[in-house]
Amino acid sequence: MDLSELERDNTGRCRLNSPVPSVCRKEPCVLGVDEAGRGPVLGPMVYAICYCPLSRLADLEALKVADSKTLSESERHRLFAKMEEDGDFVGWALDVLSPNLISTSMLGRVKYNLNSLSHDTATGLMQYALDQGVKVAQTDKEPALGFMTKSEEMDGQLVFVDTVGPPETYQERLQQRFPGVEVTVKAKADALYPVVSAASICAKVARDQAVKNWKFVEKLQDLDTDYGSGYPNDPKTKAWLREHVDPVFGFPQFVRFSWRTAQSILEKEAEDVTWEDSQTGDQEGLRRIKSYFSEGPRPRLPHRYFQERGLESATIL
Amino acid sequence: MAAGVDCGEGASARQHVFLVPEYLKDASKKMKSGLMFVKLVNPCSGEGAIYLFNVCLPQLFEIKVFKEKNHSWFINESVQSGGLLHFATPMDPLFLLLHYLIKADREGKFQPLEQVVMDDMFPNCILLLKLPELEKLLRHVTEEKEIDKKKYYKYSKEKTLKWLEKKVNQTMAALKTNNVNVGARVQSTAFFSGDPVSSDKEEDYICYAHGLISDYIPKELSDDLSKYLKLPEPPASVPSPPSKKVKLSDEPVEAKEDYTKFNTKDLKTVKKNSKMTAAQKALAKVDKSGMKSIDSFFGAKHVKKIGKI
Repeated sequence: MDLSELERDNTGRCRLNSPVPSVCRKEPCVLGVDEAGRGPVLGPMVYAICYCPLSRLADLEALKVADSKTLSESERHRLFAKMEEDGDFVGWALDVLSPNLISTSMLGRVKYNLNSLSHDTATGLMQYALDQGVKVAQTDKEPALGFMTKSEEMDGQLVFVDTVGPPETYQERLQQRFPGVEVTVKAKADALYPVVSAASICAKVARDQAVKNWKFVEKLQDLDTDYGSGYPNDPKTKAWLREHVDPVFGFPQFVRFSWRTAQSILEKEAEDVTWEDSQTGDQEGLRRIKSYFSEGPRPRLPHRYFQERGLESATIL
Repeated sequence: MAAGVDCGEGASARQHVFLVPEYLKDASKKMKSGLMFVKLVNPCSGEGAIYLFNVCLPQLFEIKVFKEKNHSWFINESVQSGGLLHFATPMDPLFLLLHYLIKADREGKFQPLEQVVMDDMFPNCILLLKLPELEKLLRHVTEEKEIDKKKYYKYSKEKTLKWLEKKVNQTMAALKTNNVNVGARVQSTAFFSGDPVSSDKEEDYICYAHGLISDYIPKELSDDLSKYLKLPEPPASVPSPPSKKVKLSDEPVEAKEDYTKFNTKDLKTVKKNSKMTAAQKALAKVDKSGMKSIDSFFGAKHVKKIGKI
């Protein structure tokens, strides 16, 4: 997988895709959506879609794609290479969300939570496939039925999405967004539907590679990259985080600042920073109610000109 | 007019970010060594304030600080918390001299300047006497007498008000050229309307300029200037309604109706003898030893007891 575009600039998001197989523009297709790297405090989160014509679903199953979590890293690579080989009927697209993008989204003035970010990314990829002319919006299921080998449930349901958390609301949202497409959102969809398994393999391979070749934006000397799994409950990851705290800047951009793990380490090890929207304990702006009623002489305030501009006379230097 | 001056290299040393006039930055070494920060009186509040004094020229600058919540500086490879921005801007020294002249005027006589500009709190005020063309400057606000080639000065309110009127006019002109929002209505300072001159009235400009000048003169003089300029009374000084405690007459206050006459006697006597309901009877039988009245939990005495423990 060629992730050179991500390596050039890994501070935002990066979309990668295979060429669209011509058969996918003609024949009705199934599409699977899955993600990798949702939980780790380190590195990017990758969203992937995979699609193939309904008529070739059996061929995809023949590749023995399975839930990426059950496969070893080398097996995942082998399967991804096989899908690349079968580029004449399997297409995929990826969206790599850098840890920096995740941090800035979740910690913005208007909070944009991880679920919304995930859902919007998945929606974006589905829209991308439609824009590329992939024939997903095909609810006419008649010609496909003969090839439905997996289960009867797949009847006319052409987009399969793996979910974390309640799938009902997610499905409703996607269905509203794509009224012409039959959307199925299910937990553990990556184990149930081969297209979702294939998507999960794409996502996982991209995430592995991105983490392995991560180019740190910061000029850090002899940075050790031995950070374990990257998940917050990994003691190795925690130790790595604690070792890489700068008192002023905190962590390198590889770390998702919005994670509770990262924040609690910052609270302990780094200097305090207050922002405009910080919830400070001392309520400076509040005066005692009584102070509004006293008749005593109020201190003369500087003229409005100075107050409006935040200017005051210097009394100490 | 921009120069960042940072004092000290160490991470712990406090750094100040300054905006000073261009010519001070480019000045020769000799002039730079003649620059000093001094604490002088603030002519408006009478308290101390920092000024920058250029001994070579000599010239006076006031120091204003921009201070807003939640700001910090990144200065090269360091962080400076606070986000303060200091401005050194030229100041008319007459405002400071005026402070001393008004103070000395209480004695009501002509005095030599060295006798006027004296301050135990801010001894650096003698620097003011070094200013060039001091005599010309003082002519705006004082009467003077010359005896044996020595000058004696006396504060003149009339002259001062005339001088301040000129200041107000100059400020008004500056407000107009800088499109300063002077209207009484609440509006963001960051909002620039396309046609500010037409939307703000002349009267608004005078009031605003008067207010701005008042930040450099004592309160009494500000009030006098306001009358001199025939400014309308500021709305803030509208007297607040008298508080309810204020007695309007010396006669003792009496209730207009006596509600007590209906129930005083009856309640006290009848209620004790009245029959209790079944529930009240049951309650009365309950062993109340060790129980406290609910009132006791709300009284101040109870809190005090706990405090001592």
